[in-house]
Amino acid sequence: MLDHATDVHGDGETSVVVADINADMLAEGRKRARASRHGAGARLAFVEANAQDLRAAGMADASFDLYTVAFGIRNFTDPAPALREAFRVLKPGGVFACLEFSKISAPLPLLRTLYTSWNFAVIPLLGQLVAGDRDSYRYLAESIERFPDQRTFGDMIKAAGFVVPRSGPAWEDLSGGIVAIHKGIKPLE
Amino acid sequence: MPITRVCTPRLRLLTSVRYCPISRGRPYHSYEHESDPPPFNATEEAVLAAALRQVPEHGFTDASLSLGAREAGYLDITVNLFPRGSFDLVNYHLVTRRLALKKALDAQAAKDDGGSFKGQGVGTKVKFLTLERLMANRPIIHRWQEALAIMAQPSCISTSIAELARLSDEIWILAGDAGVDSSWYTKRASLSVIYSSTGENLAHCTAPKPEAMLMSGLLELFMTQDQSTDFADTQKFLDRRLEDVRIVGSGISNLKGYLDFTAHSFINVLRSKGVRI
Repeated sequence: MLDHATDVHGDGETSVVVADINADMLAEGRKRARASRHGAGARLAFVEANAQDLRAAGMADASFDLYTVAFGIRNFTDPAPALREAFRVLKPGGVFACLEFSKISAPLPLLRTLYTSWNFAVIPLLGQLVAGDRDSYRYLAESIERFPDQRTFGDMIKAAGFVVPRSGPAWEDLSGGIVAIHKGIKPLE
Repeated sequence: MPITRVCTPRLRLLTSVRYCPISRGRPYHSYEHESDPPPFNATEEAVLAAALRQVPEHGFTDASLSLGAREAGYLDITVNLFPRGSFDLVNYHLVTRRLALKKALDAQAAKDDGGSFKGQGVGTKVKFLTLERLMANRPIIHRWQEALAIMAQPSCISTSIAELARLSDEIWILAGDAGVDSSWYTKRASLSVIYSSTGENLAHCTAPKPEAMLMSGLLELFMTQDQSTDFADTQKFLDRRLEDVRIVGSGISNLKGYLDFTAHSFINVLRSKGVRI
């Protein structure tokens, strides 16, 4: 994101705050950032925070232009408070963008069944063989299954107060619906 | 008495929603759904209206969208509301100009207490509405070729064609077309073709010719001269196209009548000779 801002828009002032509830993940992030060109600068900050309560981490109202979460919201205990917190910390006109696993929207129920069976049967087995960690991959399959579909999640985003596109598609499906990108704008008033 | 439309219900497929057209499930006008919610929500409306005001200067580009977002009081990043970028701006222009036709027709009909259209047929109203819609492109006509290029992109072309179909349907409905036979399709198809070709003609004619500009030396004067002549020329072009359709249409129905009569006569002659047909 910083590379895009600097190279494409010539913007040297945008800063990014990376938040995670797990200190070990943050440490991993800091390690990778040190290897990149922005690691040493003041444009990247790492904060330990619970997305369902960002006030505790000191994030003020209306202090961010963009809030992104990629493959994270599925793991939140309860996405609804996280969406409300996102609404609170964004400035009016700010964008909430979420990339997450979702339900296949193909018309054939067979495709959905195949996908679910693959997730529950093959992925944990591969996880056991390659990484020796069957449980994590079983959790992955279960969390994908548990997460609401595109329309329900879109309604949750609207319920938090965001405005979603009406003239175009409200979400973007990737790979037939396996992954979906949801966007919302915080209105002005 | 409102005429109920006989239309086949559209199959709703659960397809993925990537870059789908405005799926209201209805590419035609319906009397039962005249008070549909507006196609743009308040935020989109605010940003796109402001962005459209930037188009004469900046064209149908992301720059216009950013400037529009800033003018409407939003952040630069708010343009993420429009994943299709400048096509969303083109689409907004097309939809708002189409929806403004009803008001224009009512305003014209109210002038002289309905004298302009009294005793006139559907054809007069169709001509008025088509011209009205073409003239609505006037403020941004110098950017129109850019818009056509955007509309021709593979990801946007189905939406653009659907919008053109809706425009031609809207014009016929507002003009008072009540047909429910196969001419419903031919009328709309022929109007779509005439409108696009006249619109193309308009876009081409208004581009000032550089050699003439150099010769005249007065850029503004030439452009104002150019515009007035060309819009009159465009009106004549439209008249000729509508006349063509009328002549061709009547020609085809005459031909159909002739072939019908000839075929029946032939069969009757054979029967009179004893052939069992």
